[in-house]
Amino acid sequence: MNDGYMGKFLCVDLEAKTSLKLKVPDWLKQDYVGGKGFGAKLLSDLAPPGVDPLGPDNLLMFLTGPLCSTPAPAMRTCVVCKSPATHTFLDSYVGGRFGAEIKFAGYDGIIIRGTASDPVYLWIEDDRIEFRSAAKIWGSDALKANELIKQDLGHQEATVATIGQAGENGVLFSLICCEYNRQAGRGGAGAVMGSKKLKGIAIKGSQLVKVNRPDLFQQAVKKANRDIESAGDCSALTESGTSYAVPWSSSIGLLPYKNHSEQHDPKVNKIDDAAQDKHLFLGKSACFGCPIRCSQMGAVRTGKFASFVTDIIEYETVAMLGSNLAISNIRDIAYLNKLCDTLGMDSISAGAVIAFAFEAAEKELIQSPEKANLEFGSTKAAEHLLKSIALQEDELGKLLGQGVKKAAEQIGHDAPDFALHVKGLEIPGWGVKGSPGMGLAYATADRGACHQRGFPIGYEYGGALYKGEVVEPHSIEKKAEILIGDQNYLAGLDTLIKCDFGAFGVTAQSYIELLNAVTGLERPQSFIDELGERIWNLVRLFNLREGLDTGSDTLPAKLTGKALENGPLKGQRMKSEDLDLMLKEYYMIRNWDREGRPITKHLKQLGLNKERRFSIEKQLIAPENDEVKD
Amino acid sequence: MACSAWLFGGYNPHRSALNIDHANENLYHFPVVCNQCENTYCAKVCPADAIYRDQETGAIVVDQEKCVGCKKEFCHEYCPIKVIHVDPFTRKAYKCDLCGGSPRCVESCPTGALELVVRVNTDQEEDR
Ligand code: SF4
Ligand code: SF4
Ligand code: SF4
Repeated sequence: MNDGYMGKFLCVDLEAKTSLKLKVPDWLKQDYVGGKGFGAKLLSDLAPPGVDPLGPDNLLMFLTGPLCSTPAPAMRTCVVCKSPATHTFLDSYVGGRFGAEIKFAGYDGIIIRGTASDPVYLWIEDDRIEFRSAAKIWGSDALKANELIKQDLGHQEATVATIGQAGENGVLFSLICCEYNRQAGRGGAGAVMGSKKLKGIAIKGSQLVKVNRPDLFQQAVKKANRDIESAGDCSALTESGTSYAVPWSSSIGLLPYKNHSEQHDPKVNKIDDAAQDKHLFLGKSACFGCPIRCSQMGAVRTGKFASFVTDIIEYETVAMLGSNLAISNIRDIAYLNKLCDTLGMDSISAGAVIAFAFEAAEKELIQSPEKANLEFGSTKAAEHLLKSIALQEDELGKLLGQGVKKAAEQIGHDAPDFALHVKGLEIPGWGVKGSPGMGLAYATADRGACHQRGFPIGYEYGGALYKGEVVEPHSIEKKAEILIGDQNYLAGLDTLIKCDFGAFGVTAQSYIELLNAVTGLERPQSFIDELGERIWNLVRLFNLREGLDTGSDTLPAKLTGKALENGPLKGQRMKSEDLDLMLKEYYMIRNWDREGRPITKHLKQLGLNKERRFSIEKQLIAPENDEVKD
Repeated sequence: MACSAWLFGGYNPHRSALNIDHANENLYHFPVVCNQCENTYCAKVCPADAIYRDQETGAIVVDQEKCVGCKKEFCHEYCPIKVIHVDPFTRKAYKCDLCGGSPRCVESCPTGALELVVRVNTDQEEDR
């Protein structure tokens, strides 16, 4: 049937060096659609309870959705596993064209299990799966590995995902790099891949992705593209990528500075979009088929680190490797970013870890290494730490490679107070003082501190209306309700798999029209929210099963501590009483009990009580009927 | 993608008639499209005489009936920019036929990066 799906998962066992093809059952398509939905269901059903995230039984999945690899604008891919940083569900999204290629090879997703005995990489060309030795590639950085794999294969046109040294060495915030500057960054998926001794995956496919109603689909694509064209945020992204948010964030008082001590950077004009345009940008790039083209490719041409090619320095990276470290030279930030990309680390968590180390050194809780004095503003110290973390060369690198939560526990004293994370995932580049909604969003996001599961700042400061009304930024009123609405809607869209930036423009109605035209099903607009709510609850159940402490729906002490002393939001703070009140309301609206556990009645309403499990044995496609049916 | 949909009824840029090459970590992109050559290498080497110029659109097209999917894939081999391919499934050559005069890639390029330019040669032959 033509429904946007390829109808098969590829299931690879690295230990046995075998692969299976599994049918994607209709009920899974209907109830979970793709991406995050598939991931939540498959991880719940296939990962043994209490699985060691870095052990052979954890699953590493690359999942697509029905709209991926079609002209539907701004679609990405989703990587799902149990996170070694949080020990809970991890879904990390990545653009580029790796996901598109999964479908061209004939699959809706790749499920990887087991651990290889020696370093390997996978070569997937339609039905042909090869386990190839990565002995000579192991130890190289993420971009070099891409080049070496293509060379080894003699296929320049293959699309490759790799890990850097950080992933090999088990750094808990290491990423998976999909060529070139697109990464599944957060939560340590790279460490899971490294633990499996899987250096890379190269893929190329010749299958066609077919939609159910081509004419309707064409129209829906046109409409979605028009949505994007007429959205101011999308044009700003085309113009200067996420860097346009740097001056905005600083001007409203939410740009973190010195490990979130302040939320305003006095030297912001050195690191904003104009500075990047002047010193870096040369041309554009986009993820597969995306009209927004938020990527600004460029090069650092002058200065100490010249010269190298760089992507745009994204908002989050500027915030976390720039202002939050009090580093204000855009070329230095580009260099630190490049180190993160090549060594294979999430720049958000890496930046947070360095900021934490700088503060710990300031408080004399840790000692600076011989080669670099740990202090805010020092590019040299940041560079030193990034390398020693990724290469796990010394004690300090080993300590910090576990992320701020575990590092702080080992350091002791008051270190946990300024270790800025939720559930083990470091807090990204938006302050919470003066934005209670964002505080609640971090505290409740399913994968730990994340700004992409709901972004109340958009209402509080960005001018978005809630049910036609202006939202008062500093008040806690309605924040739980607004956030839950966003979390559900976005989780619904993460099954498709939308890029956040596409969702700035494309309306709910347009998404549903795209989905209906592709699948041939008639679903109402409310389907997205309902689907999202079901998935959000399923993930919560998974996290509770894996031992989530519900007391961890909270913020670190530093963020609920004293008021801001400078900047536009001077005097603002995030009171822990306010957080508690919002959280109570949040649990109530979610139909969770006071401990944050979904109540049985609600699970029934969501259809999460019925026990339909995805099992590999049941979905196995016998090799002889292994044909793609059009 | 619009191209593979036009040719084969589904999406996959590897089965489209144009290539977009990327270089230097995606710093540069080069769209490579058939030149609809005046000196038509692909047609000259075809043993089955399957390649000819469509008089209406000016495009060089493959006669699907005549193409025998020769083993050596001569047309591909001798195309200077490798924009004629033999489809692995149909074993027939395919290439850009300008979609019969109104190219889908141009129509569906949301960014306007592609456009159809008509180059008028001295002998008034239309080209891309
Ligand atoms: S908006 Fe940017 S990140 Fe999102 S899909 Fe398009 S190019 Fe990729
Ligand atoms: S396929 Fe190649 S040789 Fe033939 S007309 Fe096009 S560019 Fe020229
Ligand atoms: S593949 Fe077909 S069109 Fe190409 S040279 Fe051979 S017979 Fe001619």
